[in-house]
Amino acid sequence: MAAMSRVLRAAAAWAARRAGGAGTTGITGTTGITGIGPRLPGTLVPVRHSGDHGKRMFIIKATSFYDSRFLSLLRFYLFLTGIPVAVLLTYINVFIGEAELAEIPEGYVPEHWEYYKHPISRWIARYLLDPPEKNYEKDMAMIDVEMKKSELRLLELEARRLMRHRGDGPWYHYETPDKNLVDNSRKATPDN
Amino acid sequence: MPEDHDWEAYKVPPTRTPVSERTTSVPNPVNYFQTAFNYVLDTPITFIRGWIERWQNKNKFYYYHQKFRRVPDLSQCLEGDYLCYYEAEAQWRRDRMVDQEIVEIVRERMAACKQREGPNQFQNCAKEMQLLEQVTKAYQDRYGDLGYHGNARTCLMKQKHRMMEERKAAQEKQ
Repeated sequence: MAAMSRVLRAAAAWAARRAGGAGTTGITGTTGITGIGPRLPGTLVPVRHSGDHGKRMFIIKATSFYDSRFLSLLRFYLFLTGIPVAVLLTYINVFIGEAELAEIPEGYVPEHWEYYKHPISRWIARYLLDPPEKNYEKDMAMIDVEMKKSELRLLELEARRLMRHRGDGPWYHYETPDKNLVDNSRKATPDN
Repeated sequence: MPEDHDWEAYKVPPTRTPVSERTTSVPNPVNYFQTAFNYVLDTPITFIRGWIERWQNKNKFYYYHQKFRRVPDLSQCLEGDYLCYYEAEAQWRRDRMVDQEIVEIVRERMAACKQREGPNQFQNCAKEMQLLEQVTKAYQDRYGDLGYHGNARTCLMKQKHRMMEERKAAQEKQ
């Protein structure tokens, strides 16, 4: 189909050139410049294009507006905090550097943050977290409170059991009606 | 930068690379690759690393390995003394971590020996193999099948069962 249309177009151009060429040479006969006269539509026309870009084309493709907007926003928000964090980490790792392992000197008790290697871990242990000794003591205090509570509860249960059993303690007193109110006339005779 | 481990702790045996006899006059291309690598990669990186080290040596600071005091074991705790239980439990967990690292180190030595010896490994690595066997057997006996929820109490119970089995076996032997 494309070949057919090109053949038809070439045939039309040849016919037009023949008509145009014969007309011009017939009328003037001197200039001999072909291709100036009026032409039929759909014929090939010589057009000068710039050498480096070529013919300007309107390329039809799907929109990349949303994709490029997304990627641009993604880059923006990632780098907004990413670049300062990267600069900070580079500064810390290059100019401050990690700690070196050493034997504990005689008579020296290291602080609790001096057991970490990286400067950021040391900083976090020093300023943000509790020392592990304090954590240990907190856990032990909680255990101690629970221990005392459980001891007291066991003692209370034992005391309740004994007082209920022996009846000689301040607990487990029940109000009973007065024995003088009891009517014993029913049981006064043996035949009831 | 990750530090190398302490080379003095376990001296690697000297390599037994045989001296090569040159049979051709063609120079070894490996030397050219070596010099190229040195000039292109090694020297700049070493220079930068040296510069960074000089900068970091201006204010040096150190870190230490924490030494924990020994506390009474779980078998020395009175019953119901939950504070003693807590301390014994913490100590047991630290000891288990240390034992895991010991097994790891012995296993690495075995792997290094195998890599060094190659086809002679079964003869030349006998000491390392024996040590690995002992250490793993000991670890399995002590911490073996306790599972994820193993704690000092379950470990003590396992030891108790082991001692009962030994006593029963000793009695049956008589």
